Amino acid sequence: MSGSMTSAPERWLAVLLLGLLLSACGTREVVVQNAEFPEPLMRPLPLTLGVWYDEAFANHEFFDEAAGRSDSSWLVKTGEAQVALWDTLLGGMFKRVVHMDGPPGPQQMNPVADAVLIPEVEELQYAIPAHTNVKVYEIWLRYHFRLVTLNGETLAEWSMPAYGKTPTAFLQSDEAAVRLAAVVALRDAGAHFATSFLQVPAVRDWLAGLPRRQEGPRS
Amino acid sequence: MTRWIRPGSLLLLAVLLGGCVNATTDQQVFNTPEAGIGEASVVILGRRHASDYETEPDFISCVGQHISRRDDAIEIIDEITFMNALYPWFEPRTAPLRPQDIERLLSEPPVAARLAELKTEYMIWIDGRTERTDSAGSMSCGVGPGGAGCFGFGTWSSESIYEATIWDFKRRAEVGRISTSASGQSYMPAVVVPIPIIAPVQGTACDSIGDQLLQFLSAQY
Repeated sequence: MSGSMTSAPERWLAVLLLGLLLSACGTREVVVQNAEFPEPLMRPLPLTLGVWYDEAFANHEFFDEAAGRSDSSWLVKTGEAQVALWDTLLGGMFKRVVHMDGPPGPQQMNPVADAVLIPEVEELQYAIPAHTNVKVYEIWLRYHFRLVTLNGETLAEWSMPAYGKTPTAFLQSDEAAVRLAAVVALRDAGAHFATSFLQVPAVRDWLAGLPRRQEGPRS
Repeated sequence: MTRWIRPGSLLLLAVLLGGCVNATTDQQVFNTPEAGIGEASVVILGRRHASDYETEPDFISCVGQHISRRDDAIEIIDEITFMNALYPWFEPRTAPLRPQDIERLLSEPPVAARLAELKTEYMIWIDGRTERTDSAGSMSCGVGPGGAGCFGFGTWSSESIYEATIWDFKRRAEVGRISTSASGQSYMPAVVVPIPIIAPVQGTACDSIGDQLLQFLSAQY
């Protein structure tokens, strides 16, 4: 009966208003995907690097529950972009990169590699202008890396931060801006890793030991 | 007929009443290329080191387009194309902060080769932002079965401050510094329909800095 009292445009308007009112209460989802990362411009290290992305890394997502009724919850999915970034970056940094079939360990059959890198996203934080009153969207990431042998013995272990921000722009949604900030943070992660890998003391020690190990069997 | 005149006149009114902008530009340049930059290319990059703001990518693109439109002999390399071609050496974390740092970059053979391939002779760093400094007024909008409309008046002022630093790649030296500031007041009266009278503050800053850069880079100016 009530349908006859309301015209179609009014119904749509009511639905639109209701949608707007409820939009603050739902979860805002940001999927960082289809991001293209450039190959690093550097001489590749003459090594075969194995890489193992565990389930949590390859499908990495971050969920922040709304603090109050007026806030929104946020779900930021970076897994696909993480894999795209690290595949491209490592492919340019090393002569050869091979993906492991399983986590390195004594019982695990894996392709031959000089070492295996296992990246992990330890932490992700974000800030939007509504939180900070600063007109930038920000993403912080903290990675934890393990460089291990094919048997799973640790050669080096270190943490690395990455940061990305993007300014507010006319007609840009919060989701689009957070996505852009995440892409900037991932690029920063790649830049930080590529320029600091050889400065990690344990990595330097491992690399210094490599020629002796390679020459060992000959002598 | 009147149905077409009304929005048209509103638009014309908005254009005629475009907010006023004041702009000031200072420049200090050395070793200006007398015959322009020839076949070399120029890259314009935004500085992104500050914690509380970012030089807008749109502004960098605007300055590049301003120069290209007025002298199509100048080859401007797009910011993101350059950053991708030289990844990871021009990211905010790794970008050179002083002209002397170019030497460090060129010690990487692939970087030196890529820069030679791009024929980059000048690198222009732009640092700054446009921000809304204050606002006043109020406006309310409503939707009812009879239609929708707004009533009220809003005004705000914006300020742009940018500084361009020119690096000469061959000399590994800073050869110029141009700064511009622009400010303006925008208005938005609303009687049923809001009429934005926007002061083109960022656009004026873009034109000012672009004109000064043209004088440095172009043989025609």
